[in-house]
Amino acid sequence: MNAILYDQVFAYLFLSLFLLFCGIVGVLYRRTLIGMLVSMELIMNGAGLNLVALNRFVVPENVYGSAFALIIMGIAAAEAAVALSIIILIFKKYQHIEGGELKEMKD
Amino acid sequence: MTIAEIIFLSVALVTMGGAVMAVLSGSIVNALMGLVIAMFGIAGLYVYLHSPFLAMMQILIYVGAIAVLIAFAVMLAGPLYLKPKEWTTLGKFGAAAGIGLLAFLLLTRVVTTTFSRSLVPSFRLGTKDIGRLFFNELMLPFELISLLIVVGVLGAIMLALFSRGRK
Repeated sequence: MNAILYDQVFAYLFLSLFLLFCGIVGVLYRRTLIGMLVSMELIMNGAGLNLVALNRFVVPENVYGSAFALIIMGIAAAEAAVALSIIILIFKKYQHIEGGELKEMKD
Repeated sequence: MTIAEIIFLSVALVTMGGAVMAVLSGSIVNALMGLVIAMFGIAGLYVYLHSPFLAMMQILIYVGAIAVLIAFAVMLAGPLYLKPKEWTTLGKFGAAAGIGLLAFLLLTRVVTTTFSRSLVPSFRLGTKDIGRLFFNELMLPFELISLLIVVGVLGAIMLALFSRGRK
């Protein structure tokens, strides 16, 4: 293994794995809904990096991976808009945005 | 070690540091700054993957749109400094880190067994090919994405206009 580091598919896959790990920990660990949303964005970025890396190293004859990374960006933008409007509604109704305290539908 | 490798390592370290800061920092504003740092790092990684268009879109969409949107939500969602309760119990952190590490190790095993040989192909496709792909074969997903964004924005406006808070 004497190839340079940034021409290895390992480096990018491990970075996207690390982003997935951070995102899972954040979604489980954060209390506020905005913190959970930030962690979700980390997970989506890890998925996009994974797609682009595999596109560049495994199937370099087409660009489907890059196109799907762009689609992921669009979906993340729409998701963030809807989620943030819901979070602001929850704040207007309950005066807090803690995920653990929202148990009105559970009762 | 060449200078390109040094820059790659520093970009990777910036990405990892931003992700850790986004997850572990106590205040939500610091977490947002960590997210922005991680986004810039990922844009640098896209440059190393020969996709400068994706790097530009990453900075435009994530840093320019989503991070600003989350910053507005942090400002609108009230005085968070009155309740500095982002730190939870140690047991919950341990459980979260345990589940994350389990997934990390499992997927590390998958990655190391699947991609054991080194692949260095030449990659000479650019932005023009992405555009041709979007307007030939991926026409329907492209239009569906625009429809999704329009419906999402309309739904956000409806939620913001026709809802009543507690007065």
